[in-house]
Amino acid sequence: MAATDSTKPQARRSDQTKFWFLGPAVVWILVFTIFPLLYALYTSFFSFRFGKINQFVGLANFGRLFTDANLHNGLRVTLTFVIITVTIQMLLGFGLALLLNREMRGKNILRAIMILPLFATPVAMGYLGITLFYEINGPINELIRAFGGSDIPWLSNPFWAQVAIILIDIWQWTPFVFLVSLAALQGLPADLFEAAEVDGASGWQSFRRITLPLMAPVLWLILLLRLVEAFKVFDIPTSLTLGGPGRATEVYSLFTYRTALRFFDHGYAAAQGFLLLLIVSLIVGLLFGRIRSIYQEERN
Amino acid sequence: MRKILFPILSILVVASLVLTACAPAAAPGGGEAAQPATEGEASGETYASVVEAGELVPPIVAQPCEGDACFCKDKTVTVIVNTAGEKGPISGPFYEVRDEFQAATGATLEIVEVPFAEHFPKLMTDMTTGTGQYDTSIAGAWWLGDLVGGDYILPLDDYYNDTTGKFPKWDIEDVQQGPRDLLTYDGKLYMVANDHDGQVMYYRRDLLEDPAHQAAFKEKYGYDLKVPDTWQEFRDVAEYFDGKDLNGDGTPDDGLTMHLKVGGQGMFHFMSFAAPFVIGPDNPKLFWFDPETMTPLMDSPGHQRAMETLIDLVQFGPEAMMGWSLGESWDHFLRGQAALTFTWGDLGALAQQEGSAVKGKTGAAPMPGTTEYYDVVAGEWKQVDGVNKVGNTTGGSWAGVISKFSDAPECTYFLLALMATPEKSEVYAYRGWDGVDPGRFSHYLEPNGTNTIDGYLAAGWDAADAESYTNAYFENFGAKMQFPYLRIPGTFEYWTALDIHLSEAATAQKTPAEALQATVEDFEAITDRLGRDVQREIYVKSLGLGE
Amino acid sequence: MRRKTSPIQSILIGGIMFVALLWVLFPFYWAFLNSIKKPADTFRAGAWIPFLQFQPTLEHWISELSIIEIRQALINSTIISLGAATLSVLLGTLAAYALARFRFGKSGNSNFTTWFISQRILPPVVVVIPFFLIMRQLQLLDNVFSLVLLNATFTLPFPVIILSQMIRELPPELEEAAYVDGASVFQGFTRVVLPLILPGLVATWIICMAFSWNEFLFALSLTTKSAIPMPVIIAGAEHTRGVQFWFVGVRVMLTMLPPIVFALLAQRYIIRGLTLGAVKG
Repeated sequence: MAATDSTKPQARRSDQTKFWFLGPAVVWILVFTIFPLLYALYTSFFSFRFGKINQFVGLANFGRLFTDANLHNGLRVTLTFVIITVTIQMLLGFGLALLLNREMRGKNILRAIMILPLFATPVAMGYLGITLFYEINGPINELIRAFGGSDIPWLSNPFWAQVAIILIDIWQWTPFVFLVSLAALQGLPADLFEAAEVDGASGWQSFRRITLPLMAPVLWLILLLRLVEAFKVFDIPTSLTLGGPGRATEVYSLFTYRTALRFFDHGYAAAQGFLLLLIVSLIVGLLFGRIRSIYQEERN
Repeated sequence: MRKILFPILSILVVASLVLTACAPAAAPGGGEAAQPATEGEASGETYASVVEAGELVPPIVAQPCEGDACFCKDKTVTVIVNTAGEKGPISGPFYEVRDEFQAATGATLEIVEVPFAEHFPKLMTDMTTGTGQYDTSIAGAWWLGDLVGGDYILPLDDYYNDTTGKFPKWDIEDVQQGPRDLLTYDGKLYMVANDHDGQVMYYRRDLLEDPAHQAAFKEKYGYDLKVPDTWQEFRDVAEYFDGKDLNGDGTPDDGLTMHLKVGGQGMFHFMSFAAPFVIGPDNPKLFWFDPETMTPLMDSPGHQRAMETLIDLVQFGPEAMMGWSLGESWDHFLRGQAALTFTWGDLGALAQQEGSAVKGKTGAAPMPGTTEYYDVVAGEWKQVDGVNKVGNTTGGSWAGVISKFSDAPECTYFLLALMATPEKSEVYAYRGWDGVDPGRFSHYLEPNGTNTIDGYLAAGWDAADAESYTNAYFENFGAKMQFPYLRIPGTFEYWTALDIHLSEAATAQKTPAEALQATVEDFEAITDRLGRDVQREIYVKSLGLGE
Repeated sequence: MRRKTSPIQSILIGGIMFVALLWVLFPFYWAFLNSIKKPADTFRAGAWIPFLQFQPTLEHWISELSIIEIRQALINSTIISLGAATLSVLLGTLAAYALARFRFGKSGNSNFTTWFISQRILPPVVVVIPFFLIMRQLQLLDNVFSLVLLNATFTLPFPVIILSQMIRELPPELEEAAYVDGASVFQGFTRVVLPLILPGLVATWIICMAFSWNEFLFALSLTTKSAIPMPVIIAGAEHTRGVQFWFVGVRVMLTMLPPIVFALLAQRYIIRGLTLGAVKG
């Protein structure tokens, strides 16, 4: 524990000081997350009318979670979205990184360009999507027609509307997987691969035996970060399809948003929020041991 | 850093060059259009909102004030309105009137535009919190249940009846009965007349009068091609014209067009469509709920047949319309790519403006009817002599309400009344782009009303179009039977549920019966949450049935 | 892995790179095109190249930029993102230093680290309603200040974790030398450590700024009039009659440019930031 050793000399003289450094951030986050969560818990026991507390309803709002088909739809849409987008992003991003992990010209430019989607405002992408996926003369259908295909009903068909949303998210976040994997790949020790080559290992073997195990922690981390962000999806479906056609793209966050701020059913919306928090926490909990080990490795 | 920026810029340049190279290949036929037709008109490539706004402006009504007469000095009036911009529907006239209003009262006018789907939530938020940022909302008439129910808006009778000459004058009697009923709630005036919404049917007169089409139609269907009177005839006409070239551009066009995007006001289509399937002489009022129990009536055989008939019609329109808002659908009609549609008054006026391909070809008529309707009270289908037609005021009928939290209610009323004066209203009705649709006797041609064809001609209308358009609205709003508009608390939520399930049915995610069943379930949940007894009481009162 | 590349391979790789670049850049290009097309051209097929296939116009840019509300939104977005990023980096740097240099019990440091990371897990929609109700109590609805506070909270994990990794890489002897010269712990931090991590600090600040700029859910829920930022303004391009492609084009460009330009400036540190310090970019 090199870091710990080196901090020892100061540790004595700064027992108080260290809390002054750490304290503000911790208190800040506590105030801005714990307090709202408690408040949400409180409202979840009430029903609302005209945006004001109407009456105490006990656990009724939580009971509705089990019977509300619209909520289950939101959950299904979100899960589908998360599984498909994250899988494709991981495969595509990592695959590209493997392909392009070599000395080549233009790498810096590639990196610079690949950063652009990560910072493109998601809600802007949704509205831009309306023009890109425009069915009659939009550029995507125009291209498809040019290659002999027929128009795809991007926004008017439940299936294709989901595809459209997934495509935008893939556009936005595949570069992230790519850039991170590439950076990690280039940090791998070259001598291991040289040794393997000398031993006559095939490309596939050195990939299986060396690359994957070494990359595993980073890949887990990317997976976790992507999962967490993907579950929060709200901006793109809200701007591109408003959840339609029907409820085909009504993701969980959009459904909860509507419950709360369209219909002012604040109590039920709070209960919905807790369900989502529970689900995401469970999934993250399963992966948490792994991410923890990454940060511990770095530290120790 | 400079090192990296340069390559980025060069990449951008290269990329655009590459795109330049690919584009012609990607756009068959696009190459010839290299030099686009100057103002789009010849190419037929127009868009509803693109239609030129034109020169016509309403006259100045309010004179600038001086000194003490400026009773709103240092006050600010904030209006919240659906996003549409300075030349957009409903919001446009506010920008137009801003200088006049400010000069006449000394007040400052602030215009806040919010997207249609956000408007009601934002307004409710402002009012439930007592924030009072908005003095007035150009509100949808179906919000009154919540706005009055929550005691958030002011009754305007005192202002309206004011005799001191403080406010501009408008006449509520001038507004035709249907739309007039929407201005009041529980006997009090809450809205200042502005836009008058109701759906009528639009058809291409040139196509219906074409002898070749007439002959072919008769051949196929065994009766004369004419303006559809029933939904069955509407279907036949849509089916006949679907896939034919309707605007001479050599490509097949559509039998009809609708706007069915979720959040794009598609539910109004269903309402004005379904009215004659449920409403009839023996059941003039019950469409939404059973007033005894608040059980939704939405899955009655009448509603079901209406939904099935509507979904059946979808096949004669472009598939893309499931994702369309009003603009795209109107655009389709204005380009001459659909033979029929039913929608609001905006379309008739837009058809007259520059860029429209259907000026002089656009006929309008009241919504078609049925030959039998399902009486939900008696629980049986009833035959009608002739055709059962029901008028409607579906739509927003966007009109001003004044917030209880406003600190300048008088100035706000001045603004709304100014825009409701006959001089202004008349011009708003002539124009398509401003979204303010006709519904007053002073908008109609003699003998229905007091306007003359000259006014419309001067405003650039085709005479036949104007006549057919104003007559259609006169008949619609004046119809003996009217679709029962819902104005109870939670209407926004009820209708959102209907909107979503309609979209599910239209895109075949649910059968019509399932969609209506789901609507009923959603309705029940909303009613339970808001309190069945309270809801029932308000509903009964809104029907004018009394207890 | 790092084998020699045959000519065929390099062509293949060049091809892949090219396609990837097109794929990434095309939406930006299309947004730009829409912003300079006449309305009728936005709905027309075969309008991909300005001047050749359609006559570009700047009218939408002019008319959009002349709208007071849009200029106000640009100002609001600037205040929100600058304010939130500064607050977040300020608090975060202090915490980062504490986590890097001091020990908090047996496994306190890693517990704190994971706790900070876990803040990114909380779905915003869970807390948006309470925030809405709380801000309403505090009369902070429609106030840029409330968005500054919230965005600072939700971007706080970035500076804490990225900078603590960076500080850990600095030899502690530097500060110790300063202590010998009589500097306090705080002075050791401000005079010795801060200057050394300055580039990372700026990069983190930029990441926080971009995230705050792009945030939509809170902005949509908590603003009503005067505090509306750019992402909500874009939503305003959806009119009663549908979406106006040309205005969308301008607004999309106006909204996306600032975060993207700043991200490019900080690109060396982006990866590190986005992976919360775990991967050195």
